[in-house]
Order: sequence, then C-alpha cells, then structure tokens
Amino acid sequence: MTPVLKTLALALFAALTTSSALAREVDPRAEAIVARAQQAARYAGDDGRTLARMLITDGRGQQQQRVFTILRRDIEDGGDQDFLVVFSRPADVRGTAFLVNKKTARDDDRWLYLPALDLEKRISAGDKRTSFVGSDFFYEDISGRNPALDWHSIVSEGEREIVIRCDPKEPDSVEFAYSHAVIDPKTFLPIRAEYYNADGELFRKIETLETAVVQGHPTVVRSQVTDLRSGSSTLMEMRSPQYDIGLDESAFGTAALRNPPQQWLRP
Amino acid sequence: MPPALRALWRACIERPWPVFAATLAITLFALLQFPQVRIDTDPENMLPAEQPERVFHNEAKQRFGLSDAIVVGVIAREGSIYTPRSLAALHALSAEVKRIKGVVEVDLMSLAEVDNVTQGGPGTVRFEWLMRTPPTTEIEAQAIRAAVERLPQAYGTLASEDARAAALYVPIEDKNESHRIAGEIRGLIDALDSEDAFHITGLPVAEDTFGYEMFVQMAICAPLAGLVIFLLMWGFFRSALFVTGPMLVAMGSVIVTMGALIGLGFPVHIMSSMIAIFLMPIAVVDAIHIQSDFAERYRPGDDAGAVMQEVLGDLFKPMLYTSLTSAVGFASLLLTPIPPVQVFGAFVAFGILLAFVLTMTLLPAFLCRLSPATLARIAAVDTQRSRLYAPLAFIRRSSQRGRSLVFGIAVLAVAFSAVGILRIDINDNPVRWFKASHEIRVADRALNAHFAGTYDAWLVLEQDVDALRADWTRDWSALPADPLREAVLGALQTEPQTANALRAAQDAIDDSDADFGLIEAWTARIEAAQGQLARFQQPDMLRWIEQLQQALDVSELVGKSNAVTDIVKTVHRELRGGELAEQRIPDSQAGVAQTLLQFQGSHRPQDLWHFVTPDYRSALVWLQMTSGDNQDMSRVEDFVAAHLAAHPLPEGVSARWAGKTHLNRVWQGEMVSGMAMSLAGAWVAVLVMMILLFRSLPLGLLAMLPLTLSIGVLYGLVGWMGKDYDMPIAVLSALALGLAVDFAIHFLQRARALARELQNVEATLDALFREPALAISRNAIVIAVGFTPLLFAPLVPYITVGWLLAGIMALSAVVSLYLLAALLGAGNGWMLKRMMR
Repeated sequence: MTPVLKTLALALFAALTTSSALAREVDPRAEAIVARAQQAARYAGDDGRTLARMLITDGRGQQQQRVFTILRRDIEDGGDQDFLVVFSRPADVRGTAFLVNKKTARDDDRWLYLPALDLEKRISAGDKRTSFVGSDFFYEDISGRNPALDWHSIVSEGEREIVIRCDPKEPDSVEFAYSHAVIDPKTFLPIRAEYYNADGELFRKIETLETAVVQGHPTVVRSQVTDLRSGSSTLMEMRSPQYDIGLDESAFGTAALRNPPQQWLRP
Repeated sequence: MPPALRALWRACIERPWPVFAATLAITLFALLQFPQVRIDTDPENMLPAEQPERVFHNEAKQRFGLSDAIVVGVIAREGSIYTPRSLAALHALSAEVKRIKGVVEVDLMSLAEVDNVTQGGPGTVRFEWLMRTPPTTEIEAQAIRAAVERLPQAYGTLASEDARAAALYVPIEDKNESHRIAGEIRGLIDALDSEDAFHITGLPVAEDTFGYEMFVQMAICAPLAGLVIFLLMWGFFRSALFVTGPMLVAMGSVIVTMGALIGLGFPVHIMSSMIAIFLMPIAVVDAIHIQSDFAERYRPGDDAGAVMQEVLGDLFKPMLYTSLTSAVGFASLLLTPIPPVQVFGAFVAFGILLAFVLTMTLLPAFLCRLSPATLARIAAVDTQRSRLYAPLAFIRRSSQRGRSLVFGIAVLAVAFSAVGILRIDINDNPVRWFKASHEIRVADRALNAHFAGTYDAWLVLEQDVDALRADWTRDWSALPADPLREAVLGALQTEPQTANALRAAQDAIDDSDADFGLIEAWTARIEAAQGQLARFQQPDMLRWIEQLQQALDVSELVGKSNAVTDIVKTVHRELRGGELAEQRIPDSQAGVAQTLLQFQGSHRPQDLWHFVTPDYRSALVWLQMTSGDNQDMSRVEDFVAAHLAAHPLPEGVSARWAGKTHLNRVWQGEMVSGMAMSLAGAWVAVLVMMILLFRSLPLGLLAMLPLTLSIGVLYGLVGWMGKDYDMPIAVLSALALGLAVDFAIHFLQRARALARELQNVEATLDALFREPALAISRNAIVIAVGFTPLLFAPLVPYITVGWLLAGIMALSAVVSLYLLAALLGAGNGWMLKRMMR
C-alpha cells in the first residue's frame, strides 16, 4: 500500500471502530506519523527474536530481575501479530510462557503456561493495562497499543523530535487522561512516551535509552519506564535482537506453550 | 541561718526594684521563646528514637513500604453497602481522595482500587478491577458483594463481613499533614450524594486531633487553674493585692519554665503540656506558708521588713526541704525510660526550684512594698477567725482520744490497699485518651464493630541471611579454584544485599567466556542459592504461616490476619478453576513462584511487597485487631509465643513483632518497670533527705509514713475500682510522693521547734494545730482545688490526673494530721519528749 492509501485505510478503520457519538476529526498527518512509528517500533522485519532482561527497581531500591525471550511474527504489517514470551529467569519461573495472538480488529487471544503447576490457561481479554510480570511495563507496552484506540494530534514537529498527543477514545478504559508520544523523525522510533493524569500532571514515562541498527532496522535496545508516583522503575535491555529468522505458525500455537520451539529460543 | 541569706533578704526587702526588674527581664525573655513551640503528639515518641523495638518497627515499615493511614469508614444507614448508590459514592470518593496532595496514590485501598481475580469463562482466568465503574443495577452490586466474599484481602478489611460497611485506607506521605488531608476528605464527603454515615479515624488523625486538644488544655485549663487558686487565696487572706504576690511567683515560674523548655528545643508532648497546670499550685504553697505566718505575726505598726525576716528565718528550712523533696519527686521521673516523661519531670523539678527562689526573693520584695493599710487589713482578717480552726481542733482532739482507732484504721487501710494493688490491671490505649463521646472514639467503635479491626500489629518473619551467606562462602571456597569462583565470591563479599550479590554473580557468569560446563555448574549453584534465599516462597514455610493464621482465627483474639499465603491461595484457586478446594498453597517452590508471578500481572503488583520482600527472605503477617488495648495485644503476643513454642519456626527463621499496637504495649511495659524504679528512687531519696533534715532515723521514717500510706491507699483504690493502670496514673505516684511529704515536713519541723520551745506535750500539740496545721490545710486545699480545672479538660489523661491529684492531696493532708498527731502523742508523747532534748 502507498502511504497515502494506508493513511486513508487507517483513518477509515479508526472512524469505523469509533462510530459512536465521538465526533472528532481525524488528523491525517498525525495518523500517518503514528502509522510509521508503529511500523518502525513494532513491525520491523517479518518476524523477530530478542532476549529481554528486565531489572525492576521499586521506590525503596529493592530490585528484581526477569529474563525472557520474545518471539514475534507479523501476520500483516500494521495488523495482527503473534507473540511468544518464554521465561528463563528467575529460575523458579523458568519455562513459564505467554502466548498472544494479537488482533487489531477484536480482543487478543492470550494464553499462559505454568510448568510447575502443569497448567495451561487461557487468559481472558479484559484489561491490557495491567503490570507485565510485576514490572512497570504494562502488557500493552510489550505487545503494542492499538493506535486505533486513541485520537492523535500533532503537538510539535521539530528536527529532533515530533510530539504526538494521544487522547484515548474510551477514557474509562485506561488509567491516563492523555499521553504524548515523542518520536524520532529520522528513525520513527519512540524517544519517549509520557502519560498524564486528568490534572495534566506527568505520572509515568517510558524512555528509549539506547538504539541500535539491527539488520538494517533501527531497534530500541534499552528502554526504561518510570512510575513517578511510586518512584518505581523498570529497565529493559534487548540482547541479541534478530529479525527474519523464519518463524512459522507452529511457534505460536498452544502446543508451543508446553514445548517452546527450542531451535528459535536460543540465538 | 547563714548571714548571706539574711543579707539577700534584706537587700530584696530594702531595694525591691532590681528584683522586680530582673524577674521581669527573665520572664520576658522566656515569653519570647514561646512562638518557636513545637508540638509532638506521636505516641511512638514514648520510646526513645534508638529504642530497639522502635528501630525495628521503623525498619519493618521501610522494608514493607507501609505508610501511616487515615481510615475512612462508610456505614450504610440501613441494609447493605452493596447498593448502586452507596458504591457510586464510595467510588467517587476513592477517585477524589487519590488526587489529594500528600496521599500515597498507588497504595490507596478501597473496593474501587482492588483487583479481582476470577474465571473469565471456561478454562480462562481474568484479572480485572473489582469496580472500575460503579454498578448501575442492584444485580451488579450483588455481583460485587459475591466477588468480595471470595477475596480474602478485601473481605473484612475493605468491606465488612456483615455487608453493612466499607472502608478506604488512605496512606499518607507525612503524618503531620493528616489534619489537612482529613479535612479535605471531609469536604469531599460533604459533597457526595449519599445517605450513608462516614467516619474518619486512624492513628494519624488521632495524633493531630490530640495536638489540638493539648492546646485547648493549655490555653483554658492552666489559666483556669490560676484563677481558681487566686480565688481560693483571696478567700483565705481577703486581699487581692496580698494574694497577687504568690500569683506573680506562680506565673513567673510557669512562664520561665515553659520558655526554657521551648527555647532549649524540646517539643511540647502530652506530658509537658501539663507542666503549667502542675507548677501553678505547687509554686504557691511556699508563699502560702510565708503569708500565713506573716499574717499571724504582723501587727499594725510593726516593721514589715523585720517581721518578714523573722518569718523567712523560721520557714527557710522546711520550705527548702519541701521544695527539694517535691523537685526530687518529679526529677525521679528521669529514671523512667520514657523521654516525654523524663522531660516533664526535669522541667517541673526546675520550675519548683525556681518557684522557691522567687518565693525567697520576689515575694518578700513585693509584700514589703504593700502599704501599711493593706497589711493591717490582712492582720485583722486572719488568724483567730479562720473557719478551718474548728475542724482542726476536732482532729487534734480525736487523734489523741481515738488513737488506737486511728492506728487501727491505718492498719486496715494498709491491708485494703495491698489487696487492691494486687488487683491492678496494667492497660492503656492512646485512642482511649479521648473521651468516649469524642468523634474519634465514636468512629473507632463504629468501625471496629463492623470490620476485622483498625488496630494493626505485624509479625515480621525473617530468614537468617548472614548464616546462608556464610554457608555459601564456606562451601564455594572449598571448591577447586576457577575464574568464575573468584567472580562469585567477590560479588558476595562486595555487595551487602544478598539478592543483588547473587544477581551480580549470575551476570558475571553470563558475561564470562568460561567453558560451557563451568557456566552451567555455577549457574546451578547460584540458582540453588537464590532458591534458598527465597525462603518465603517455599511451601513448608508458607504452610507454617498458614497454620499460625488458622490458629489465630480459632483463638478469636484477632479480627483477621493477612499474609502472602492469602494471595498465593486465592490466585492458585482461580488458576485451578475457582473451586474452594484449590484455595491452597502449591506443592513446590516453583509453583508458588509462578502463582505469584500471575498475581504480579494485576493492576497492583506492588501490594505483594507489603507482605513479603521482593527477594522473599522476609515476610510480614498483618494482624487486624478490634482493640488497641495493651492487654489485648499482650494476649495476642502470648498466644503467638505459645504457638511458636508448640510449632517451632523452621531452622534459621526468626519472628519479631512490629506495628503501633505492639509499640504501645512495649512502652507501657517499660513504663511500669520504669515507674517502679522511679518511685523507689524517689522514696529513698526523700527518706535520706528526711533523715538529714531531722537528724533522726525515727523522725525520718515517721515523715515517710503518711505519704506512703496515702499513695498505697490511692493505688489500692485504683485496683479496687478496676480503673486501668495507664500512663497518667503511673506518673502520679512519684509526684504524689514529692508533694505529700511537704505536709509531714512542715508538721514535724514545726512540732520539733514548738516542743523545744514549750517543753510540754499537750501545749505543743495545741500550738501545732494552730498556724502550722492551718497552713498545711490551706496548702492541701489550694493544691487539691487547684488541679480541679483539669476535670474540664477535653482529654481523659488530664481528667484522671486532676481527680487523682486532688484526691491524693486531700487524703495525705488528713492522714498527715491524724496519723502524725496520733503518733506524736502515743506513749505519753514519747516522740515529742525526744524532740525536746
């Protein structure tokens, strides 16, 4: 699709999904920027693998670590995706796996496997803005928030950053009143995401600390989310990210929960 | 009499203006300190900052991220709280309270801020806000009720088991802000559309309110006491000007003492807020002796200065000793381990000595400046016509005729008191310092009637991490040397936090280029160590906690206990399909870890860290109790101690108490032993002073008799009446001792002087029951009545002190007069005859 058509398609999609009384005009330029940013941050390559190391530091300085591998496969650029997250640390949660079949048009399918309980469980859709395994990241930060859930407008456009304001279409479904996505105009990777409450106070932010170009794709390799209310923060490092490793459907079925595809888990 | 003293008196009498100017200057300087006043209402400060239990309490607060909380209770007027209207009000309040500055937003607890874990359909599990939006229908409201009943963390805590009430726990960053925050919450409540009854309580609110009531007490009761004393003395001497002298002494002492306290940087605590009202009556007693004696001796035409010198000469010694003994009584409070009580004791002692100095300087200077006409009027009013003479004459007669009856009653009183003292209940609860009708007491009763309890105690369980580290270091050092071993041991040595040390070791292993086998082996060792460290993820440990919780439930000593076990069991139940039978602890450590990882996928993963540390080396069992009484806390602690004895903690794990209710019990315990020390210390010190004063052991012991009997009777009565022995009552013993001995000192000192002069038993007794007995009775009345304004105080401890001090003064005056007179007359006046020699 040409960028123009894609913008139109997205705008149409947005209009359709929010056909309720929300009469607000779509800003096509903002939508176009968001679409490119979405592509750069979430859909690089056809698939990908990365080893994520999270260090959670709470407001009192107590730390926890999580290490997991993320496998991703795009079914359609800018559209549906599959994720498989398999934990390797702490040792006592090793083998715990999340499977997400992300759907842009409806609720995702989410699955969970707990090896110590020998339990495979479907996780009901519902709220995606809950903590991701105790970190300051939300599930939605890991799998990517559907741009169609927000209205977008350009706050500022400079040479070093573009600031997009996102207003949730359903304010009751999220904990923030609005957010700012600060985007690098060269790579279209996020520089920062800022979340504000109804009083216009910044209470949570996600920052990109380091990027690298991997197989031609600019990639965020270090990012940090900070909860300004509790003083808690989570640092996430992506180790040895790789794209286009040839992941197929079999890695993302429920069978993969119990027996994750070992050939793709280790670099 | 030392000539220097005489010279001083002469100087004061002849050149009074420098005395007035100096007193005024010092008083003004003290007044200037007043604006810097700091108020301290934190019961925690009853323990010194470095006291181990208090240090541990604060460490536990820090370790588990626990804040002081305001508790807001909502009680449905009738029926259930689970109606769309009530829940909508609760939801709105919760959302608004979160926005108040100073509220720890992320830790606010209410039905609107809690996650529900449920079955989202067959085979699925769901984490969602219990009440993201308030229900609109009765059926939805009932669904919330059903959900709450399945959430152990909420049931009984956020909503009452009887479904009548709900609560918000509003954690605050700084408890000094609680008054403002509680005020803002009240404002929000007033704006709600609700018929329900709202109550605001919680320790921070109580403390703040306490500070306010303290000021009321100081601003109203202390001046009132001054007024009462003034009126009483006017009744005795019938001259406002004459009575102004002692009032100046009292006000000067009070202002300078309070100024010194504030100026030296001591905060005004509940104890020190009573300094003014204690000093006021005590400061005038010496002045009353001087004035009574002066009024008796002075005749129109006399040289006021000369008469005053005579009076001072006669009274100097008994007044010095009474002041010293009173000061010692208060100073003995320094022997208690409770800082606010120590400060109180020290400054009242200082104030008493200051009052003595002023009585020796300012008072003569002032009285001798009065016009001869005023002095003549006083002389005319007094002595022969006092209404007190008739009852005194009766005491004089009956103490001699009914001597054996007096002794018999005294012996009976001793027996009665001994039994009463054995019945004393040691108990206190700072919330009970408020009157029963006080808003905070009302809220306290209402909330504790519905909920599992608003009083907290924490049992902190902890694994001995140092021992583990020592084990690892020893075991790993014994392994053959390899590059990874050095990295791991180095990490253990340099990083004090064990979890971080193990993680640093693992990172070093990961980043090394050692061979695969070595990496595997060391990874396995580190992971095993991490598993050992995470003691409170291990099923046997959690089952031990569960067993303790069940025992506590059965005991009915606590409303409810909350621990990491409840979270594990609830999440496990839902993971397994929601059946109650699955509400249990998984069988493996990994099972527990994975269950908890699920909990951390909720909206509030941080709630977990109030019950267990992120490295799982320490856990906290939160006990909710409906009473904050020390006795109730002691019962719980005894029960847990017995449980620990019967079910010992696993090797390497220890348990220790924290929480405000526990701290209150600790300082209460310290106070009882401290007060015993203080009382014993004061008793011995006063006895030594009496022996020195009278240069006779029998006379010294005699002087101790009335006050010992009075204090015994007082505490006997406390025991018989079933009144709890609490802080104010404990503090009274030492003070009463210092004050009550005054009567005996004056009585015996004058008895000795009169006996030497008159050389006749009956004549001495007659003379004793004139001016000396009159001054003693007047003093007893002034002190007793002077404390009565405390009865109008808003806080219970002040009222108790008022009653008891009034009682003890009246009692010891009567006992002194009767018992000492009876003893002096006994054996044909044997004692008096000894004095004549």
